[in-house]
Amino acid sequence: MIKLGPASVEMRAMSEDDVFSSRLKLLIIMAKAYLRNCPLGNYRKKAIIENANHVFYHSLQLVSESSILKDNGFEPPADIVSREKTSEEHLFHQRVQLLAVMAKALAEDRLRGHFRKKALTDNLNKICETLIFKFQIRDVNFLKVA
Amino acid sequence: MNPVNIPNVKIAVIDNDLLVRDFIATVLMYCVNRDVLSFDNGLAAWKYIEDNESPDIIITEIDVPGLNGFELMAKFKEKSPDKKCLLMSDNPANKQPARNSGADAFLAKPVSVNDLFRVVQTFVVRD
Repeated sequence: MIKLGPASVEMRAMSEDDVFSSRLKLLIIMAKAYLRNCPLGNYRKKAIIENANHVFYHSLQLVSESSILKDNGFEPPADIVSREKTSEEHLFHQRVQLLAVMAKALAEDRLRGHFRKKALTDNLNKICETLIFKFQIRDVNFLKVA
Repeated sequence: MNPVNIPNVKIAVIDNDLLVRDFIATVLMYCVNRDVLSFDNGLAAWKYIEDNESPDIIITEIDVPGLNGFELMAKFKEKSPDKKCLLMSDNPANKQPARNSGADAFLAKPVSVNDLFRVVQTFVVRD
């Protein structure tokens, strides 16, 4: 029997945040695989669209929860979260939502042209800078077959 | 390990947590480019398996209603001894019972994208 996943001491139920961060990572891999010309079959396209929808709405929910708190006077104390950090988080979520829209477009064959691909690459790079997320295509060579 | 390559692989995911089940199904659907079956309880999964061609791989949470993961695996392995069964849990105490009961893999929660890629690399596509 093989064992996968975290060590016993780190095992726990998956929270909504766990699922969101895992789905975001998957979306990044999906977009990078596309840019490296991994083939897209019908079910892969369906999976990309489903994943992009989840990430988009969860990110939107996180942003709106934060602004509802602010609108109701629940501004986080300055010593806990600076305004600058809040602004960075807002920008990060805008980039994540943009990535979701781009991913849907690529799954629907609407992401064509050099500059659209460049915009996707730039957006991915910015998101990965924030996440400190490293990914190499050789990690998922099996995706080269659809 | 021998090379593995299951064409048109059929995978079923069983978990009563909708968010987790959908996430796992999305990752696997993307990897194998095939539809992935999903069930929210062990009994519904077993009814499907009993009436249809067995999936090549089932990935089931241990603590699910209806039939739990161990019960479902016992029935599944009795019908299809060559097919693979992966048990998932957030409880470390389930690891040894999973080994003793003949599970092909134990998937500890929280499950990551990389863990699911390894499932595909190990059980579906391997050179």
